[in-house]
Amino acid sequence: MPDVAVTTVSGAWALVAALLVGVFAVAAASFDGALAARSAGGGARAGARMPLAETARLMRQRRRTTVAADGPLWRTGGGGLLVVALLMVVVVPLGSWTLADLAVGIVWFNAMDVVVWAVVWLAGWGANSAYSLVGGYRFLAQALAYELPLMFALTAPAVAARSLRVADVVAAQHGLWFAVWMPVAFAVYCLSVVAFSVWGPFAPAAGSDIGGGVLAETSGVDRLLLLAGRYALLAAGAAFAVPLFLGGGAGPLLPAPVWVLVKTLLLLAAFVALRRRLPALRPDRFVEAGWLVLLPAVLLQVLVVSVIVVARS
Amino acid sequence: MGLSGRLAAYAVSGAHVLVVEVPGWWETRAAVERALTARGWRTALSPADADVIVVCGDPGEQLSAVVDRVWEQLPGPRARATALHTDEVGAALDETALALRDDQHQRRDAGDRAREPAGGADRGDMDHGDMDHGDMEMAPGGIPLASGGEDRDGLEMDVLHVPLGPVLPHWPAGLVLRCSLQGDVVTEAQVEVLGPAAPSPALSAPADERRAARRCDGAARLLAIAGWDDAAAAARRTRDVLLDGGDRDDAARQLDRLASRVTRSLTLRWMLRGLGCVDGAAVAARGLPESARGDVHDRLVAMLRQSRADLRGEATADEDRAAATRAALPTLVRGLDVAAARLIVASFDPDTVGVRREAVRA
Repeated sequence: MPDVAVTTVSGAWALVAALLVGVFAVAAASFDGALAARSAGGGARAGARMPLAETARLMRQRRRTTVAADGPLWRTGGGGLLVVALLMVVVVPLGSWTLADLAVGIVWFNAMDVVVWAVVWLAGWGANSAYSLVGGYRFLAQALAYELPLMFALTAPAVAARSLRVADVVAAQHGLWFAVWMPVAFAVYCLSVVAFSVWGPFAPAAGSDIGGGVLAETSGVDRLLLLAGRYALLAAGAAFAVPLFLGGGAGPLLPAPVWVLVKTLLLLAAFVALRRRLPALRPDRFVEAGWLVLLPAVLLQVLVVSVIVVARS
Repeated sequence: MGLSGRLAAYAVSGAHVLVVEVPGWWETRAAVERALTARGWRTALSPADADVIVVCGDPGEQLSAVVDRVWEQLPGPRARATALHTDEVGAALDETALALRDDQHQRRDAGDRAREPAGGADRGDMDHGDMDHGDMEMAPGGIPLASGGEDRDGLEMDVLHVPLGPVLPHWPAGLVLRCSLQGDVVTEAQVEVLGPAAPSPALSAPADERRAARRCDGAARLLAIAGWDDAAAAARRTRDVLLDGGDRDDAARQLDRLASRVTRSLTLRWMLRGLGCVDGAAVAARGLPESARGDVHDRLVAMLRQSRADLRGEATADEDRAAATRAALPTLVRGLDVAAARLIVASFDPDTVGVRREAVRA
C-alpha cells in the first residue's frame, strides 16, 4: 500500500470548505431552476436566477409557527441538513489537502448520513401537522430501503483499499477507478445520495401531493435552511463519491484539487438532471426493490470485490 | 432604490402563488398557471409556501370561509386577488405584485395579525386535522389529543381526522375528502363538494379543443402527483396550445410525443400499476364512465388517448358521471396510503363542474 501524502490543513479552512459547499448548492439550484423553466416553456436564463429570487423571497418572508408545534425539535430538523452536509465534506480530500484525515473516514460519512434520518423526521414531526408528519413517515420508509444497500456500497471501496481512510481509498485507485470495476456499488451509492437528499425521484417525503410534506408548514428562513440543506447534501454526496469511486484528484493536465471540483460538479449536475427523467419512487414500492434487488446486488458486488482482493494479494 | 427595495424587487420576481379553483373555473386557473410561468412565478404547494392567493371564480359561502382561513395561514408579505375571466388574470397578478412590494402596507398588515396561530378544532382545512374528541384538559394548543383505533395489525394506533382539499395543489376543484388517517393510511373517507356562489347556466357543449385541453389538464395533474414534473409540464404546455387556439396539428404532435413517453416509462408503470383497480362489473354497477376501467396507469393512458381522439373530432358524447365517480372514491381509497389515494383521485379527475349543472337542475 503506497503511503499517501495528505496534509491536514488548519481548521480555519473549514470556512472555505463551507463556502465551496454553498457555491455548489447554489449552482445545483440554479441548474435545476434553468431546467424547470425550460421544460415549462419559460426562459432558461430567468430560471437560472431562481435561487437568487427564492433567497430574497424567503429572507423577506416572515417565519411562521403552527399550533402546539415542537419548536426546538422542528428548528433542529430545519437546520440539521446543512450541518450534516458540512460535516460530510470534512473528510473529503481536495487533492492532497484534507480537513480531517480520519482513520475511519468512510464510517464517519456513513454516520453522518444516518443522522439525516433523525433530521428529516424531526422536520416532519416538529410542525405538528398531518402533512408534515406523513412526509416524515415517508422518509423513514425510504431510508429503510436505501440505508443497508448504501452501507454495503460504502464497504466495497473500503475492502478493495483495505482501509477505511479516505486517502487510502484514493491511493488504491491508481490506474483504475473503483467506479469502473465496481459499477453496482457506485450506482447504489449514487441512488442513495439522491435518496438521503430527498431529491428528484426520492422526494415523496417533500411531495406535492402532501403540500410539500416536511416542507409544508415552513416559511421564511426555516424553509430556506431546509431547501439549502437539500442541495448541500446532494453536493456533499457528489463530493464524497470523487475520492471513493472516481479516483480523487487523478486526471490529466489540471491540478488535483481542480479535478476533484470538476468531477463533483459533473456528478452533481447528473443528480440534478435525474429529477427531470423519472417520476417519484413511492417508498412503499421502492422498499421492495431496495431489499430484493439492490441489497443482494450490492452484497454480490462486495463478494466479487473481496474475492478479487484476496486473489491479488 | 435602497437595499430593502431591491430585496423586495427580487423577492417579488419569484413570488409563489396558491391557486384556488372554484368548480367551473378551470380555464381561469389554467390561465393563471400560464401567466405564472411567463412571469417566472411559481405555484405554491401549501399556505406556508405562498405569498399570494389567487381565487379563480366566485366561491360559495363554505369555500369562501376556507379561503379566508387559508389566507390567515400565509406567512406574509402576502396579497390576494380574485379572477373570474381569463382576461382578468394579468391585471389581478399585477395588483398582487404591487401589494407585495408595498412595504408600508405589508407592515400594517403584519401589525394587525395575531402573533400566535389561532388554535382549536375549527381550523381543519390544510393542517392540524381536528382530532377526535379527546380529554379537553389534555389539549395542547386547543387541539384535543388523537384517540386510538385498531390498526391493521391488531395493535392500537392514533386516528387523525384530516380533510384532503379543497385548497390543495393538483386537486379537483371544490372537492373535500374527509379522511380518517392511521399513520398515513386512510381508514375511512367521506366526500363533500364546496361549490360556487351561484349556479350559473348549464355550459354549452365544449368545443373539441377545449375538451382535449381539459383532458391534458387532467393528465398534467396526475403526472404532477406521480412526481414527474417534466411530463406534467409537457401536458400543461399542450393544454395551453389548445386553449390558445394554437395550431391543432402542433398540439396533436405534442400529445403523441407525451403519450409515447408516458407509455414507455417503466418506472411510471411500476409505480401506477395495480392501483385503484375498477373492473367491468364495478363500472356497470356504480354507473362510472367506461374510461374508468382498469388501474391508475390505464386511466392515465386513456385520458391521453381520449384527448387525441377529441382532436381528431372522434369525441364520444360526454356523459355527466361526476357524481357517480365522486361517490365511488371512498371505497377505492380505503385502506391505502395518502399517496395512493391522491393518485386514484387524480386518475378519475372528477370534474366537479358537474356541481354547477346539478345545482341548476335542483
